[in-house]
Amino acid sequence: MDVRALLLVNRTAEELADPIPLSPLPPPLLEVAGKTPLQRTVERLRRFGAQTVTVLTEADVLPPASSGNGHGETYLNTVRERYWRTAESAFNDVAQEGAELVLVMSLGPYAEIDFEKLVQFHLDKHARVTQAYNQSQPLQIFCISASRRNDAASLLRSQLSRCRVECAHFEHTGYVNPLQDARDLRQLAIDILTLRTETTPCGTQVRPGIWIGKGALIEKGARLVAPAFVGAMAKIRTHAVITRCSSIEHHGEVDCGTVTENSTVLPYCRVGAGLDVAHSVIGAAVIANLRRDATVEVLDPKLIGYVAAAAGQRFLNAAMEFAAYLPRQAWQGLFGKEKPAQPDLQTALGQTSPALGNAAGYQAPACDANAAEEFPSSLAVVRRYGHQ
Amino acid sequence: MDTNSRPVIVKRMPERLNARGAREVWREAQLFLNSDRPQLVFDLFQVKQLDASGVEMLLRCMSEAHKRDGDLKLAAVSPQAGVVLELTRTERLFEIYETAADAVRSFSGFLPNAMKQQLLHQKNPPASLAA
Repeated sequence: MDVRALLLVNRTAEELADPIPLSPLPPPLLEVAGKTPLQRTVERLRRFGAQTVTVLTEADVLPPASSGNGHGETYLNTVRERYWRTAESAFNDVAQEGAELVLVMSLGPYAEIDFEKLVQFHLDKHARVTQAYNQSQPLQIFCISASRRNDAASLLRSQLSRCRVECAHFEHTGYVNPLQDARDLRQLAIDILTLRTETTPCGTQVRPGIWIGKGALIEKGARLVAPAFVGAMAKIRTHAVITRCSSIEHHGEVDCGTVTENSTVLPYCRVGAGLDVAHSVIGAAVIANLRRDATVEVLDPKLIGYVAAAAGQRFLNAAMEFAAYLPRQAWQGLFGKEKPAQPDLQTALGQTSPALGNAAGYQAPACDANAAEEFPSSLAVVRRYGHQ
Repeated sequence: MDTNSRPVIVKRMPERLNARGAREVWREAQLFLNSDRPQLVFDLFQVKQLDASGVEMLLRCMSEAHKRDGDLKLAAVSPQAGVVLELTRTERLFEIYETAADAVRSFSGFLPNAMKQQLLHQKNPPASLAA
């Protein structure tokens, strides 16, 4: 049977109204544990046996170059005003090419649909349009008989909100993530890293629960605690700690002594030295703190910055850094003060960020893990034998 | 028991506590920090942007206050400021209160947690007792 897929990726009104967006890309095009939800959906469709996959995006939401996985999916692009008209003509094109069934999905939510069951259900019910539901909530996932172009047209013109015929209800019991905000994005990373989803992190599992992408650099002294993910070409500097389902996406960078706990660093984002990133998603000069439920723009590159997306720019930056390194070392050797010994991991984690200039290295006694060990041993003895 | 007769200075922080804003606050705060045992409360209610220079200034103020046997406390920390303070590991270095009034009151005496709870209990008795 000739089954084809039409995937719709556009931004919702809420996303457009967001004053501080995490990224210019909509959530389905943001990498989570190495791959975008779009890529993961395309892979599932390929495994199911979809003949072609057409992806329709808005003109200003061009998918990153890495989105295509080389299996010949077609990317269409249109302006926001003509988006649903273009979707309608894309459906007609797919039907004319000989498709018998068309799977129309709006991403949006990431759902691990069993396409085989969905198609079988559609055929068994002799339905014209079948809609997937999860816990009685409608998902924007449809199986449409290709010959029913008018039904498809009415559905697409109403932006997938209503159909002129009654849709058959297919109950999906598998994994669904609404992918509406930073919290959902983080939850998807946690679910992928804890293997609650069928999809897995994209990289080599170097130790149980630790996945590393190609070309990732993990400096000596850095610590990765499972489950954790470090994407391709990402850099984890010395004394940094990546723990509790943290995910550093490709070309992300975590500087010296920074603790990343239950957080996601989006592609090309850089986290400064000596920071505590906990329960957060780091975007382009933006941090979304999930515990405080606050999204904050951080314009200080010492705290959160970018890594250049263009390879040429990155090479130029690295060359300039290298050119400045030798004279700086020579100057420090001749006139600089004696370099302080590098602190160990425990000490580095107890100090404030070097980004704070003169106030850097301030110890935080309230959080000193050694406090209990420094407790006078005599007093401990008194407590232990106090009754005697 | 109120044994404290020294004034507590409450300073409202500007919306942007970046390098420029921090310089201005530091200049103004120095007048108070140079006094004996300064007691300061910085109200961060309207802070929308806080960067490394702003945090550095807060730490410098606290350090100067401690040198003169005084203290600096923060009040009404906005979510934006709170996120940056947590990010830079400095949140735990400050005493933080929900309102400036609470912070001012905290200078007047030390109440152990048990006493605080007792006072709260007296203010808002449980429904069964009130009835």
